[in-house]
Amino acid sequence: MALRVAILGVLAVVVFCALFFRLWALQVISGERYLENANNNQIRSFGVLAPRGSIVDRDGDVLVSNKAGTLVQIWPAAIENLPVAERDRMLRQLSKLLGLKVPAVQEKVGESLESDPLTPVTIDTTVDEFKTAYLMEHQSEFPGVQITETYLRNYEQGDLAAQILGYVSEISREQLEAKADEGYRAGDRVGQTGIEATYDTYLRGVRGEGRVLVDALGRITSEREFSQLPEAGDNVRLTIDVDLQRAAEEALEYGVRLAHDQDEWAANGGALVAMDVSSGEILALASNPTFDPDIYVGRVEEKDLKRLAARNANLPTMNRAVAGGYPPGSTFKPFVALAAMEAGLLRPDEYIQCTGEEEIDGQIFSNWDPYKNEPMTVSTALANSCDTFFYQVALRFYERKDSPLQRWSRSMGFGSGTGIDVGPEAAGLVPTPAWRRKTFKTEIDKLWTSGDSVQLSIGQGDLLVSPLQMTRAYAMIANGGKLVEPQLVRSVEEPRAEGEPPVVLRPYTPKPPVEIGLDPNVVQVVQEALYDATHASYGTSQHVFGSFPVEIAGKTGTAEKFVKLPGFAGLRDQSWWCGYGPYRKPELAVCALIENGGHGGTAAAPVALKVFEKYFNVKPGSYSAVIQQSD
Amino acid sequence: MATPITRVQQPTRFQAAAWELGAFLRHVDYLLLLATGGLLAYGLWVLESVTQNDVPGDPGYYVFRQIVYVVVGVVLLAAAAVVDPHSYRRARWPLYGASLVLLLAVLVFAEEVRGSKRWIQIGFFNFQPSELGKIALVIVLAGFIAERRQRLAEWRTTLGVIGLAAPLMALVFKEPDFGTTLIYTAIVIGALFFGGTPWRHLAVLAVAAGLVAGALLWFLPSAGLDVLEPYQRERLVGFVDPDIDPSGSTYNVNQSITAVGSGGFDGRGEANATQTKFNYLPEHSTDFIFSSLAEQRGFIGASILLLLYAVVIWRGTKIVAVARDLYSAILAGTIVFALLIQLFINVGMTIGIAPVTGIPLPLISYGGSSLLTTLFLVGMLEAVHIRGRLAAAR
Repeated sequence: MALRVAILGVLAVVVFCALFFRLWALQVISGERYLENANNNQIRSFGVLAPRGSIVDRDGDVLVSNKAGTLVQIWPAAIENLPVAERDRMLRQLSKLLGLKVPAVQEKVGESLESDPLTPVTIDTTVDEFKTAYLMEHQSEFPGVQITETYLRNYEQGDLAAQILGYVSEISREQLEAKADEGYRAGDRVGQTGIEATYDTYLRGVRGEGRVLVDALGRITSEREFSQLPEAGDNVRLTIDVDLQRAAEEALEYGVRLAHDQDEWAANGGALVAMDVSSGEILALASNPTFDPDIYVGRVEEKDLKRLAARNANLPTMNRAVAGGYPPGSTFKPFVALAAMEAGLLRPDEYIQCTGEEEIDGQIFSNWDPYKNEPMTVSTALANSCDTFFYQVALRFYERKDSPLQRWSRSMGFGSGTGIDVGPEAAGLVPTPAWRRKTFKTEIDKLWTSGDSVQLSIGQGDLLVSPLQMTRAYAMIANGGKLVEPQLVRSVEEPRAEGEPPVVLRPYTPKPPVEIGLDPNVVQVVQEALYDATHASYGTSQHVFGSFPVEIAGKTGTAEKFVKLPGFAGLRDQSWWCGYGPYRKPELAVCALIENGGHGGTAAAPVALKVFEKYFNVKPGSYSAVIQQSD
Repeated sequence: MATPITRVQQPTRFQAAAWELGAFLRHVDYLLLLATGGLLAYGLWVLESVTQNDVPGDPGYYVFRQIVYVVVGVVLLAAAAVVDPHSYRRARWPLYGASLVLLLAVLVFAEEVRGSKRWIQIGFFNFQPSELGKIALVIVLAGFIAERRQRLAEWRTTLGVIGLAAPLMALVFKEPDFGTTLIYTAIVIGALFFGGTPWRHLAVLAVAAGLVAGALLWFLPSAGLDVLEPYQRERLVGFVDPDIDPSGSTYNVNQSITAVGSGGFDGRGEANATQTKFNYLPEHSTDFIFSSLAEQRGFIGASILLLLYAVVIWRGTKIVAVARDLYSAILAGTIVFALLIQLFINVGMTIGIAPVTGIPLPLISYGGSSLLTTLFLVGMLEAVHIRGRLAAAR
């Protein structure tokens, strides 16, 4: 045993000697050489952004593509060991060269020095060639600075459809934490709003990754070796038609001008939706005022963001067609009529006196035309937009304990989101007795009164709808009572070489419209009434659509809303028009809204007319349309 | 006249226990304890400076967890020192069975981490059964040989030892964990060697082992039979010639050697140790922690570690000599030998004189299973020492 223990001892001595000698050889004898290796020959991994997919319209016309850009980045790790004064000097000089604020750059670099020194920080985008050349030539003065090519968004149609498309910017720290599992990395550019955000997964592609040898200053000393080549993102094809979208956006501006001409000085924006009545595909979705998404490309200027956020800019980034909540006014009456007939509260052939005013529970409610005094059926009352007729219908609803009007309204898509791809979406509000009880504090406010029913019957009071919800509901009337699902994206596609058709990766076929249980005969009564509203002598937008070569049916609305504007707070009329055409074979439903635009017939109806002109290819002036006051 | 009665007082139970404890404490090998404690403290310090940049925003992430393991491990060491090693001998067959079951369970249940299945998740603790298997194997083999001390010259005994170890080794190899398989081999060799197996047996086994290695590395692959995973063979071959493919299979070795070499005589310090800091050095909290230490603290820092180890091995070797019986001697000898081999393979791989096999540096690398196992084995060394001295005193 003693021999064997001795052998163990000898073995231990041999092992330790071997280790010590080898360490001595590596560290003391050849230490300098290895130190040089460590400093010179360092592998760094790098990421390359993939070209982002394009967004095209239904016919393939490009809305957003890419253009080449340049990034100036800093490797925090490479400047970590510089003396503070030296680092400061470098950042100062760099900021001055690029025209950036010194503290902002210092803060950005300082933050990543602490959190993530191995990922380059982007200091600036789209720097001009002269500056990049200068940086390249003076690399030794700018340790850790690198110039990288990148892709930037290119808005080929200017500010067209800006709110739908949304914008792209560098991923924020919060987003990075929330999306850590989805393969996002620091420095990635992600869609922040609109289609860019909703379809980011498809658009962004696969980031390239690889290794490269760099020296201690971060200068690349070898070929780039990819472990993952960047893969371009897929394209998203919208249901939007570029031409119709442009017509819609121009029409909204025209509508605001019209309102101003009619002394509606407060008119300051609007929204328009044009939808295929049977599929729910959205051909145009416009919101005014709008903005230029190009300000988010490259370096984002503070003053641009301030301008967008300014009070008198009136929320240009908001997509009013989807996120706006407005009282619908008389454009809501067709749905009141449908609900009344379906609930057995009103017969199509029943006459009710349309008067100049109506006293209900001691309160006087007036008609928009104080001189009216004649019996009307529901059809005439709709075409005439008689308020007092609907007040009396409202009283019948008020008698019912099961709120049939609200229940029908909800099944027609009001009071909840439509599920469209671009958010945030306004759900709107369908007021019910239960809602009143829950929402208000005082006993008197908690009570649902006959006045609430009266207000609701003419689309006023607490009722709020979005232009998108309204368009879908008019599409429902047009297609005979089926609710469609609004759709903004046709497919996700993989682009092919020039001239070859793209490969569809993910088709989004429209969901079949849902029957909501409306009697076709009842729907037909309302259809005819809407036709009368645009064609009968007493129709509220007959002057606009009466001689249009394609038969259009639709309804005006003038809804009072309490608004706060610079220097004004009070009730203003929201100008609405909703309808569809061709009357006998409906294709397109359109809703137009001009905020504070006055009467529906003066501002909104002509706006919708412009869109129908474009859609049906009717030359303006080839027929007569009169702009006058009504409703 | 009454003569005073001298009463011999019987010690109380408490006094007897105190005396026994006193005798016990007198025979603890304090030098071994001191060196072990030194390694633990040194290891925590190294781990702290090496892993500073590993978890952004939490420089103490690894150290904090390792401290918890150290506390548990010290308790284990104390327990192992107190318990008579012979009690394990009597329980060796259940131990052996449990190890087999656990190692099988790993193959069935464990999730693959970088291509191999080694860990079973138990609560927050990632348990590595092959580490526990080391303890079992040492005890089983020591017990087996000690029982057959009269028949050591028979091939039956030698082959029996190998037959006992083979299933455990095969399971660990299958994970695959080539490094730990090597340590198991060291345990087998240690047990045979200190059990007193005849020299000619050992010589025959050495030749056979050489043939198997040759077959695994060269003959079988050329015949189209791959027992080793490609990366294992590449590493073994790459160890012979590290410049074959600098960014591929030998990337680790080259980066490690660069790290060690760049440490120089007195190290680059935490801030300038770019190999560690910029992650050029893979696994620098576990398998390659020695490289990081050598980079940050240089030849001096590395030497302190090796000297502490030398003390542990020296004391361990002495304990083999004072063991009171063959079983205890085999136990101690095998533990010391296995520790020495593990140290050599781990440090050797970081400086290019041993193949890259992915085993932890005992007592230093981050990780609970290895730390607890090693501390338990050191505790057993103490137990052998204490009982050997006590027996000699009586």
